[in-house]
Amino acid sequence: MFPPSGLPLPGEILLITDELLAPADFLLHRQVATHLKASKVSKCVLISISEDIGRWKAVAQRSNINSTQYLDSGSLSFIDAMPIASTAIDGESSVPLKELFQKISATLIQLSSESGIDLLVVLDDIASLEWVGIPAADVVRFARALCALCRKLKASLVLRHHVTTPGEPDDIFKHLFQLCTYHLDVFPLSTGRSGTVSGQVALHCGPATLAPAHRLVPRSAAVHYRLSDTGSVFFDRGTGSGVL
Amino acid sequence: MSAFKRRTTAKQPPLPAGTRTCPGSTATIITSTGIPSLDDILGGGLPLSCSLLVLAPDAHSAYGELVVKYFAAQGLACGQRVCVVDPRAETFLSECMWMPGSSAAASVQPGNPATPSPSTAAEDEEDEKASEHDTKIKIAWRYEQMKQFQTTVPAGQATDDYCRTFDLTSRMPDSVIRSARSDGRFLDVSPEENLSAEGPASSCRRVIHRLSEILSQNDTDTDTSLATRVCIPALGSYEWGDLSPQEICYFLHSLRALLRRHPRACASVCLPPHLCQESFGGPGWVQKLGWLTDASITLAAFSSNPSLSAMFSSHHGLVHIHSLPAPHTLLPPSDKFSTLRGLTSSGENNLAFKCMRKRLIFETLHLDVEGGVGERRTTPSASAIALEPGGGHAHDHAHEPSTGGKSSVAAVQVQLEQVEISAAPPPPQQPAVDIPPSTKPAESSFKKAKVKKKVAFTSERPDLYDF
Repeated sequence: MFPPSGLPLPGEILLITDELLAPADFLLHRQVATHLKASKVSKCVLISISEDIGRWKAVAQRSNINSTQYLDSGSLSFIDAMPIASTAIDGESSVPLKELFQKISATLIQLSSESGIDLLVVLDDIASLEWVGIPAADVVRFARALCALCRKLKASLVLRHHVTTPGEPDDIFKHLFQLCTYHLDVFPLSTGRSGTVSGQVALHCGPATLAPAHRLVPRSAAVHYRLSDTGSVFFDRGTGSGVL
Repeated sequence: MSAFKRRTTAKQPPLPAGTRTCPGSTATIITSTGIPSLDDILGGGLPLSCSLLVLAPDAHSAYGELVVKYFAAQGLACGQRVCVVDPRAETFLSECMWMPGSSAAASVQPGNPATPSPSTAAEDEEDEKASEHDTKIKIAWRYEQMKQFQTTVPAGQATDDYCRTFDLTSRMPDSVIRSARSDGRFLDVSPEENLSAEGPASSCRRVIHRLSEILSQNDTDTDTSLATRVCIPALGSYEWGDLSPQEICYFLHSLRALLRRHPRACASVCLPPHLCQESFGGPGWVQKLGWLTDASITLAAFSSNPSLSAMFSSHHGLVHIHSLPAPHTLLPPSDKFSTLRGLTSSGENNLAFKCMRKRLIFETLHLDVEGGVGERRTTPSASAIALEPGGGHAHDHAHEPSTGGKSSVAAVQVQLEQVEISAAPPPPQQPAVDIPPSTKPAESSFKKAKVKKKVAFTSERPDLYDF
C-alpha cells in the first residue's frame, strides 16, 4: 500500500518535492483527505502560497470531499499566505516572514488548545517564497521555526518544495532535507510524458531518522502512479497493465 | 408513484461573450486565444482566471508577440474587454491582425452574424495546393476510405463566435480601436508611467496595482458581464526598467493571484528573448516560470539554427509545452481533449509551428521519410519521374526483344514530358510498380505544372519575415 498510512505521524515532518512534469498536488489532497476522514477530532490547517482556495475546493469535490463543510465546521482552516508575505518582499523589516509566522502560530495554538486534537499542517509551497525575492536564509529560518512549532504542538507537518534543477539540489532543499523525518520524492519518468504513467514516487528517510517505520523506496525502484480525475492509482513498476 | 424526482438544474448565469464551458469540467469557462491549434493544445482554449506565458528565446523573430497579438485581436473581435500593458498600446493594437474582407467591420458587434466573405480558390495557401495532387494517384484499395493525413486541427468558420479566422495580411481597422476605446473595452496600462513619489517604485508593482484597480472596477460594473483579457506583449522590455528574475517571478505570481481574485479575467504574457535564457534567470528558470503561470509554452524558432531549419524546412520552430492550465482539476483537460498532443492515443506528439502568409499554425512534427524533403511523400520524388505514355521505357524491352541495339537491359529513357503526350492509351500489360501511373495526359501536364521539391540539400528557405 503506497503511500503508507501514518505518514507523517504527529510530531513528524514530511517533505514532498516535485517537478514541473510531475506535480504532487494529488499527494497533498490525499494526505488531507485521509487525515480528515480518519476521525471527527482531526483538524487540518492549509497554508497556501501559490494557489487559492477555489482550486482546492474544486479538486477535492471531484474525490467527493466536501471542503465547504469542513471549512464551516472548523476542521479545515485555510490561510492565504501571499498577501502577508508580499509585504515581506519590500525588505523593510529585518525578519521578513515574521508576520506570516505569527499568524500561523496563532492559528495553530488556538486549534491545539483543545485536547485530543490530531492536527495536520500543510504548507504549499515553500519554493515560491524564495523565487519572489525573499532571501533564502529567511525562508530557511521560517521553515525551521515552523518545524519547531509543529513538533512542540505534536502536529504533523507536510512541506512542499518544487525542484527546478533535478540533478543539483538547491540550498533550500538541502536545509529542508536536514529538518525532515521523511522525504517523498515525486519525479517524472525519465522518458518523458506518457499516457498511462503520470510519474513516479520514492520515499526516503531524513538524516535524523534512525529507524524508519515505513518501508523505504529508493528512486531506482520508485512506485509508479497514474492520475485520474478523481485521484491517483499507485502500482509497482511494470505492473501497470494489471492495475489500470 | 415513484418518489424519484428529477433534479432540475439550477439556472446557470449566462456566459460572457466569446466564451464557453470546457467539455471536461463544467466549472471551467474557456475562451479562445485566436489561434485554433493553440486552443487545441490548451484543451479547447485558455480558461478564465488563468495566465498564459509564451517564451520566445529567439532574438531574431517575434513569434511570442504574434501570439499576444492574436489574443488581443480575438478579444476585440468577440466583444470582450482588452487591457494592453505596453508603453505604446495603440500602436500595438493597430499592428494586430484582423479578419479578412468587408465582413470585418460588421462582425465586431457580438451577436451580429456577419456574412462570410466568399472564399476564393486563389487565396488558398500555397502549401495546401501541394496535397491536391495526392488525391489523384491510385492508392491501395483498403486505404481509399481514409482521410488525408492531418497534422493540425482545422480552422473554424469565419463567423464562428468562439474563434474568429484572422488574416495576417489585414490589419485592425482604426474604427475598431476607436469604438473599443469609447465603449470602454480597450484599456491600456503603461509600465513607464511615473506616478508621484508615493506610488510604488518598481514598475512591476505599479502595473499590478493599476491592473488590480482596473479589474476591481470591471467587477463592480455588473450591467455587462464582459470577460477581460490582459495582454502583455513584452514583459520586462527596457521600458520596465532593469528587472531582476525575482521581480519577474513576483509579477507573474501576483498576476496569477489577481486573476484568481477576479475570475472573469485571463492574461497572455510574452517574455522578450533576453529574459527567457537561463543566463538571465539562473538554472531552472524555465521551470520556475512554468510553476508561476498556469500555461507556459516556448516557441523555439529555427532562425538562429540553420541545420534545424534545413531539416524541418516546412516549419519555423519547435513548440515546447511546460505547463498546461488545470484550474479546477488535477489533470489538465488538454490531456484528454487535445488532438494535437495526442496523449490519448500513444505517447505525446512533437509539436512545431509555422507562420504562413496568412496565419500562424501549430502542427505535429514528424520526421521525414528520407530526410531532405519537407512534405510527407506519397509519390516518388521529381528526379525519379521519367516516363510518359507510350514512350520507350524499360518494359518495352520485354515486348521488343529484337531491338538488340541497346546494350543495357533495363534501359530507362528520360524524356521531357511536354514533348510527346500521346493520346493513345498505353498497352494494358504495363505494371505500375515503380512508375507513376502518369498514363493520362491531363495528369502529366498537371504534374509538369507542379514544381516538386527536390531531394537536394538546399531546400526552399521559408520566408521568415513575411508577417
